[in-house]
Amino acid sequence: MKLLTKFGIAASAALLMLASAAHADSLENIKKAGKVRIAVAMGIPQYSYVDENLKPTGSDVETAKLIAKDLGVDLDLIEITNAARVPTIQTGKADILVSALGITEERKKAVDYTVPYATLSIIVIAPKEIAIKNYADLAGKRIGVTRATTNDMDITKNAPGAQIVRFEDDATLITAAVTGQLDIISSQSAVLGGINAKRAGKEPLEVKFTQAETNLGIALPKGEKPLQDWLNTWVKTNFDNGTLREVFRKYQHRELPDDLTSR
Amino acid sequence: MNYQFDFAALLPYWRDFVAGAITTIEMTVVAVAIGLVIGVLCAVARRSAYAWLRLVVGIYIEIVRNTPFIVQIFFIFFGLSSIGITMPVFFAAVFAMVINVGAYTAEIVRAGMEAVHPSQIEAAEALGLSRFQIYREIILMPAIERVYPALTSQFILMMLSTSITSQISAEELTGVANNIQSYTFRSFETYIVIALLYLAITYLLRAGFHLIALGIFPRRRRLGTPL
Repeated sequence: MKLLTKFGIAASAALLMLASAAHADSLENIKKAGKVRIAVAMGIPQYSYVDENLKPTGSDVETAKLIAKDLGVDLDLIEITNAARVPTIQTGKADILVSALGITEERKKAVDYTVPYATLSIIVIAPKEIAIKNYADLAGKRIGVTRATTNDMDITKNAPGAQIVRFEDDATLITAAVTGQLDIISSQSAVLGGINAKRAGKEPLEVKFTQAETNLGIALPKGEKPLQDWLNTWVKTNFDNGTLREVFRKYQHRELPDDLTSR
Repeated sequence: MNYQFDFAALLPYWRDFVAGAITTIEMTVVAVAIGLVIGVLCAVARRSAYAWLRLVVGIYIEIVRNTPFIVQIFFIFFGLSSIGITMPVFFAAVFAMVINVGAYTAEIVRAGMEAVHPSQIEAAEALGLSRFQIYREIILMPAIERVYPALTSQFILMMLSTSITSQISAEELTGVANNIQSYTFRSFETYIVIALLYLAITYLLRAGFHLIALGIFPRRRRLGTPL
């Protein structure tokens, strides 16, 4: 029993030390460690996906690389799932998250954001013969979404009568649409072309309505002011000098709005 | 270590947790019931006099036991719908589980059957029991009784594996938990809650299997001793 107590005290002391070490300023820690841990959810078309050589690529991956380069440290790319995006930052498993994360009031309670660095249009798509014009038309229909995304939250809130089918990542959702498991899905505009190219022999899908254009922010743990300031400056600088617009255009084939960083 | 636990944030979602737990149990019970029948039939087929039957069943068992469960799920859910066979997600998930648990059950039951001493079968023949009687009373039931603990743990493993079916949008306990943590941002608390729920379901299933054993194995019921 005595031994156990001793162990207990030693263990909690060790934990406390670890905890306090982790709570120094994270910008300083990144520079000291010589590497920045950037979390990216893989399988988001055009934002973060693997190319034909199985290398991570996309506008978010490229943005992450630029951030590491400008910080002057190595990039430790942490590949996660969609639903793990906020928890990964909350629990400090990564220093920052660049992963098509929409800025919402709810999420702001859990993590800090930079100013918007990109946008994401979310749309409802379905085959021609299904008549859908708005959220009310979704009542009683099965609609596929990717879990824990702004699409999911938007459909859940605005189409209470819909039967929502949730997949773990965009890739699985797209596979469901391609193989014909589902006809109606809510996703981002970049996926439509890819789905129709693969939906050979089946009715092509078309845009039914646009749910929203979401501003995307880089997320970081709460209270890391120096890192947040550095990132805000970085986003503004690179937006104004065209670097971020260039990266976005290269993968998304559309333009970012001019007033993005002041939104 | 300055994390503030807030389980109260999860309270509004208790119905979702319960619904998820019930789905998990339903999937497990249906899959195990059908899987057990398939497993026993396959175990019998593996001892068949027909070489082609032994081969077919052998291939099925080898394929299932040597591929990951998630691949089997994707194969059934996406593969079959690519060729035009679509089914609701609950059905697809249970179908994948049946195929999976059937193969493991077959191997476990076969091991039990091989442990039956040939002299017992000879004795039964000498007593004039029919082939069917011998199979049921002398080979199969004692075999199942002998491997019952192994079967039980395989079925519990299957119950825990239902968590994987959240990948294909099954709203079982893990799927529900992933939703709830994305609304509440209380991932630590959410996963603690479902870990406890899984533990509770495990004990519930164990109790169920124990009662079934008492019902079908007279020796255990009357003498209280395993075979």
